[in-house]
Amino acid sequence: MDTTELIRLGVYGTSILLILIGLYAVLTKRSLIKIIIGLSIIDGGIHLLLIGIGYIKDGTAPIFSPGSENAAARMVDPVPQALVLTAIVIGFGVTAVALSLIIRLYRHHNTLKIDEIKNLKW
Amino acid sequence: MVGSPVFLIAIPLLAAFLIPLLGMVWKESVRIIPGLVLAYLTFLSANLYLEVIDSGTIVETIAGWQAPWGINLVFSPLTGFLATIMTFMGFIVWLYSYRFKSNVEFEAAKKYFIFLMLLVAGSIGIVITGDIFNQFVFIEIVGISAYALTAFYTGRNSAEAAFKYLIMGSLSASALLIAIIIVYSQLGTLNMAEIAANIDNMDPQYRVIAMIFFIIGIGVEAEIFPLNGWAPDAYTEAPGPVGGAFAGIVVKAGIYAMVRMMFTLFNISGPMQILIVIGLVTLIIAETSAMRQVKLKRMLAYSSIGQMGLVLVAFGMGTEAGVFAALFLMLNHAIIKPLLFLSGSFLTFNTTDKYIKQITGMAKKMPVVSVLFALGALAISGLPPFSGFWSKLSVLTAAADENLMLIIALVLIISVVEIVYYFRVINRLFFFEYDEKISVEPHKPGINGMIALFVLAGLILLIGFYPASVTGYIDLAAKDLINTHEYIDKVLGMAF
Repeated sequence: MDTTELIRLGVYGTSILLILIGLYAVLTKRSLIKIIIGLSIIDGGIHLLLIGIGYIKDGTAPIFSPGSENAAARMVDPVPQALVLTAIVIGFGVTAVALSLIIRLYRHHNTLKIDEIKNLKW
Repeated sequence: MVGSPVFLIAIPLLAAFLIPLLGMVWKESVRIIPGLVLAYLTFLSANLYLEVIDSGTIVETIAGWQAPWGINLVFSPLTGFLATIMTFMGFIVWLYSYRFKSNVEFEAAKKYFIFLMLLVAGSIGIVITGDIFNQFVFIEIVGISAYALTAFYTGRNSAEAAFKYLIMGSLSASALLIAIIIVYSQLGTLNMAEIAANIDNMDPQYRVIAMIFFIIGIGVEAEIFPLNGWAPDAYTEAPGPVGGAFAGIVVKAGIYAMVRMMFTLFNISGPMQILIVIGLVTLIIAETSAMRQVKLKRMLAYSSIGQMGLVLVAFGMGTEAGVFAALFLMLNHAIIKPLLFLSGSFLTFNTTDKYIKQITGMAKKMPVVSVLFALGALAISGLPPFSGFWSKLSVLTAAADENLMLIIALVLIISVVEIVYYFRVINRLFFFEYDEKISVEPHKPGINGMIALFVLAGLILLIGFYPASVTGYIDLAAKDLINTHEYIDKVLGMAF
């Protein structure tokens, strides 16, 4: 196994681990803030996975510039990078909405424990 | 050519951005601009739709990048049909909520209309885009505006409902993104048509995993079991017109994304057991839960989920008759369920809990609204001569063609359940004495709200008595969905 494969496996492994850690936090933690942190960790893992699939060993930026006109074969895939930028912005938006909802919930119930907020059936 | 499909997304987004700015100059503009925008969108969408029926699918390339490389919008007989329903329902919801919070506060109304615009823009985007990542972005736009609209009222439990929706929504969006990553890493493209053309080159293992993640990812908006736990709470806690918008617009977009994925992306032909199973489970659980509800809007929400289950069952048959029945059901549900939500929120006006017992005897105080509610209830439970009858009949005939007797039996049993719980409400509404202690204090509904209800009721009667007025269009839309090769050719045709 050469180094490229190792790096690739490492990136995939780390991202899947991050997704699982985040999922664990969302499913088991009782504090609203921790649940949102879990969601952000899942997002982070997915972004890493997304960047990982565009990885090329010794890759260059996907820009044709003087001196590297024939670099097309070595360029990293630009699409995952564009996707990850969009996904980061979306993740930021969702986290902001979630935190503002938590503020609202805290004012209403005076607690952040999910067990104590159950006027609706969960 | 009256305009381009891009306007259907760009104009509501621009309006959402301009509303707060113009609101600083002229307060009334906050209410008027959304109406103008939605009226224009309905006009534009209907015109484009008629053009598409005459001369074939419009594929709009954005920024000059041709199909597989750039994002493209596909306005076909199917997507045009759905986009027209959505813009029209958006207009009806605006008409109903034109005086929303008029004498209370300006800020609240401003936020409401901004998010309504975003909700409509996102839902139309889900339907007309031809790119899976773009669809993900629109699903998130719909999600974020739907969370905000659900949490609209500060005094109630709305933040809790919205938080629940948010957790489910963002987890499923993560699943959708993983599905997109799997597809991209295998096929190197995000364009739906190109994926459909190359799906056979994908490793079957990856194909199954990607499909599961897609179903989880889209299932929350499409309200399939078990991802619909948010729906009853969100429908109950959100303002009345928002419930109508969820049922008339958002769910339709979710179901579309689901069937586009199954029929086109994964290019499955023939019966799809997975959709039939998901649909039947959703249908049975939702309708039996609806029986037990004591709150009016929760009952309507469960009924809505059940109807979506039935739509998925019909799609799952995979035949043209099945797709026809499913689209007919979607059209009817898009008209009838908002009528029920809007008239229901007139009947339970300004109450927090919206218990069914609170509408006891309201027919004597608000006869017109009550009759309209009853009309909607009869139509959705599929009694002739209303529109719901024809769509349920077409589901049954489609199932009979395929010899799926179990489905026929279940649909009929579920119809009886539906009739029981809707008649329980109608009975309370009409044949009980008005009781001041438990019933809601009657109020005079606004003229704009009544116009909206009458338009919907008129459509129900029109489709009920002349089903031929819409079946031709639905037939074209069904053919469009079934014919994957034509979709691929149309979208990629210019590039190759």
